[in-house]
Amino acid sequence: MSSNYFNTLSLREQLAELAKCRFMHLDEFGDGVNALRGKKLVVIGCGAQGLNQGLNLRDSGLDVSYTLRAQAITEKRQSWKNATENGFTVGTYEELIPTADVVLNLTPDKQHSAVVESVMPLMKKGACLSYSHGFNIVEEGMQVRDDLTVIMVAPKCPGSEVRAEYVRGFGVPTLIAVHENNDPDGEGLALAKAYAVGTGGHKAGVLMSSFIAEVKSDLMGEQTILCGMLQTGSLLCFDKMIEEGVDAGYASKLIQYGWETTTEALKYGGVTNMMDRLSNPAKIKAFDLAEQMKDIMRPLYHKHQDDIMTGHFSRTMMEDWANDDKDLLNWRAQTAETAFEKTPAGDVEIPEQEYFDHGILMVAMCKAGVELAFETMTSAGIIADSAYYESLHETPLIANTIARKKLYEMNATISDTAEYGCYLYNHACVPLLQDFMKTVKSDVIGRGLELADDGVDNARLIEVNHAIRSHPVEAIGAELRGYMADMKRIV
Amino acid sequence: MGTDNLIRFDHLDVDFDGEFQLCDICWQIESGQQWMISGANGSGKSALAAVLAGVGDITGGVLEHLPARVAIVSYEAQAALIAAELRKDDADIMDVISEGTPVQEIIDASSTDAELASQLAEKFGISHLLDRSFRKLSTGETRKVMLIRALSSEPSLLILDEPFDGLDTQTHQMLLEHLQILSQSLPMVLVINRFDERPAFVTNIAYIDEGRLLSTVDCADKAAFDELYQLLHLKTSDLQIPAADPDFSVPVLDPAQPLVQISNATIQYGDTVIFKDLSWTIEAGEHWQLTGPNGCGKTGLLSLITGDHPQCYVNDILVFGYQRGQGESIWQIKQFIGYVSTALQWEYRVSTSLRHVVISGFYDSIGLYSKYSDKQRDIADQWLELLGLRERSDEPFNKLSHGEKRLLLIARAMVKQPPLLILDEPCLGLDDMNRQLVLALIERICCGSTTTVLYVNHHGQDRIAGIGNHLALGTSDD
Repeated sequence: MSSNYFNTLSLREQLAELAKCRFMHLDEFGDGVNALRGKKLVVIGCGAQGLNQGLNLRDSGLDVSYTLRAQAITEKRQSWKNATENGFTVGTYEELIPTADVVLNLTPDKQHSAVVESVMPLMKKGACLSYSHGFNIVEEGMQVRDDLTVIMVAPKCPGSEVRAEYVRGFGVPTLIAVHENNDPDGEGLALAKAYAVGTGGHKAGVLMSSFIAEVKSDLMGEQTILCGMLQTGSLLCFDKMIEEGVDAGYASKLIQYGWETTTEALKYGGVTNMMDRLSNPAKIKAFDLAEQMKDIMRPLYHKHQDDIMTGHFSRTMMEDWANDDKDLLNWRAQTAETAFEKTPAGDVEIPEQEYFDHGILMVAMCKAGVELAFETMTSAGIIADSAYYESLHETPLIANTIARKKLYEMNATISDTAEYGCYLYNHACVPLLQDFMKTVKSDVIGRGLELADDGVDNARLIEVNHAIRSHPVEAIGAELRGYMADMKRIV
Repeated sequence: MGTDNLIRFDHLDVDFDGEFQLCDICWQIESGQQWMISGANGSGKSALAAVLAGVGDITGGVLEHLPARVAIVSYEAQAALIAAELRKDDADIMDVISEGTPVQEIIDASSTDAELASQLAEKFGISHLLDRSFRKLSTGETRKVMLIRALSSEPSLLILDEPFDGLDTQTHQMLLEHLQILSQSLPMVLVINRFDERPAFVTNIAYIDEGRLLSTVDCADKAAFDELYQLLHLKTSDLQIPAADPDFSVPVLDPAQPLVQISNATIQYGDTVIFKDLSWTIEAGEHWQLTGPNGCGKTGLLSLITGDHPQCYVNDILVFGYQRGQGESIWQIKQFIGYVSTALQWEYRVSTSLRHVVISGFYDSIGLYSKYSDKQRDIADQWLELLGLRERSDEPFNKLSHGEKRLLLIARAMVKQPPLLILDEPCLGLDDMNRQLVLALIERICCGSTTTVLYVNHHGQDRIAGIGNHLALGTSDD
């Protein structure tokens, strides 16, 4: 029964599903959480997404409880502690699933098949099964009972951000979808919308999409620019600075907090604004470096997207699951042993602007990664809106996790699927950039250009600015950020 | 003047008829400086100025280099002169109707420059009154006479206690210009109640509170000046707590119900019990102070009320008419609460203008995600005015000092006039000046609004006038 669902579709159907993407307006959410009010929501799994989504849904006035495997309860595992310390009712599948109107499957991807197979027989007729990631349906071809409604509500952020933004009175952009094979009563959309309201997502923007578009874009984004590029960039930039005699503590801090600081500019005004934070000579330098890296890395981005589309990626990852995560654990251990990871950030004050001035190469890597991921996704049939959220939009959010506790924190926060893809990318990308890295010095990473004269050639500056501003990710980004700003002005 | 130290106060204690004392005043007035003494009403501003004119009994310390010719204009001196005139009348044993001393004589008694005196009389617009009896003048007119006397007496130190009080705009302006010119050659000490009315030539400010000289600030020291400016602005400006937005009021609460009723509450992490069986009721209008050592659960208890603590769903908590865990949303609770804490300050990292930070208080959000009305903008601006930050309302929040941020977050919490204001360690991490600032603002809120204040700190100091109830959590032995 587990065959790749995407691959069972005709090309026509595949393209139609990939292209499903509509930005929903705030007035479509006027019904609030009403479609879920009074219903019993039972969450499976109490990790970062499970706990934080549950906290938001409960604070929105909904009835939330948690179900865990009997073993997790009797052994008082972390997931049990998470749920009970937060004042939630916790019970076994047998106790809670039969009472549930909506079952929220928020376990790691690799557990989905086993979890869904064990809860499905316990679910009451006509209930709803919800996912926050479509992997199980799309890549594993999970067949769900006909009477059940299957929806997806996928906040485009790590779980911690889902909570933090809600507490601030806002939310995170969210993708919703209804699995058309499983919408017997046609209530899937209403439930998904209410769920998005309950987590606060409607305030930040909701994309109506499909399970397929979500999986194929999400996997691509997380493997390449979001996690892979930041990991590769961290390791290469740190080693380069050490080689150039930059103080190790300084180098460590510049990278740990540099991604967060530089991508904050990205969040507010796209690649254009991030580049505008550099001096004119530094901007031209970063532009040139990014162009070189894009040429070097383009085949790698294409390979990742192709492997995701054909199902090669998911098949090899599932083989690793079957092999007790041998590759994943091995790569995770290697990451922990890298020089960057083992060097604590120095006790030095780095002014905000200095992260740009001394991190020209990091800015260039970020630009190259965002643009390549976006170009590759859209050329594979993914709509620009989705591609924007899965590339540029999420980059600052992942960068925040590195600022907290370096790569360890990033890899601990993201899903196992993202982590696996991240290592996969890193192992290919580090050697790929080897020769390029030999050509750069500490002027672009660690020390800054230190020019006596900031003058530039007018024609060259115009050319570079035009190239930055006319990239398609900038157009859709301005539009979607504009929606968010508009929403701030509505109500 | 040979020495730079024109006048020196060294740990000076001064008693004023046993009714008021200045304590331990250390102060130097150097040549070239123009001082302003500022402070709240009753803080001792006038007393300190009067010491320079030889008033008060020195009970300790040293006062050196007081100049011989000191001229003073103050309410006290004005009252003394009027009283003396009245006594002359009483002392008149002859059976004729006393006309009292003419104004011209009163002026001549002190003035050493008749021509200047006559010019000033012209400027102050009282030339036609010179022949009239001093006793028959209005208060404003006697004040002008006092000023003319002092200004035409060629003093070596001029003390003006509230010189602009009661003067019309035109006269105020004329006097200001006159003093501006004088300031180039004559040292002055001005007592001015409204900090915003300080003349531009003032170079140094002495801040006095409860008879003690708390700080002296050189106006050229921008940072120190800004801090003092805010404090004095709060303490001395005649400001009202801005009104609520009539179009955005929180729902009316049943006055018979308590704001908060917590019954036998417990907070527990694993086997660690933070507190248990705690019951607490807060009635509307009862201000509370909550104290307790670090780690006793003060913040936990507060967040049971605000709904930020997840265990609020497993405790028996009634807030603003909502029994928690019955399908209410957290925003329905938060609309009744204004909340300030250090943690909130850390959280508030979004780059937003000062104005938007204040407006965000209407929506209980960190950052502003809602369209606001012109009315709300006006109210926010009134709060910024109250804090002395109106000029900076478009600046980003993260450019503020630690203390200014705290003030602004208090304004944010108060902007919607919530039934309950929770201040969790509002003075934490603040220096003395900023502490004073925050406490002054809280005092204004306690006295000037219908909001019930719940004030939390880890020790019993920093008490605030107007807070009558006290809950001590844990014991100091913990």
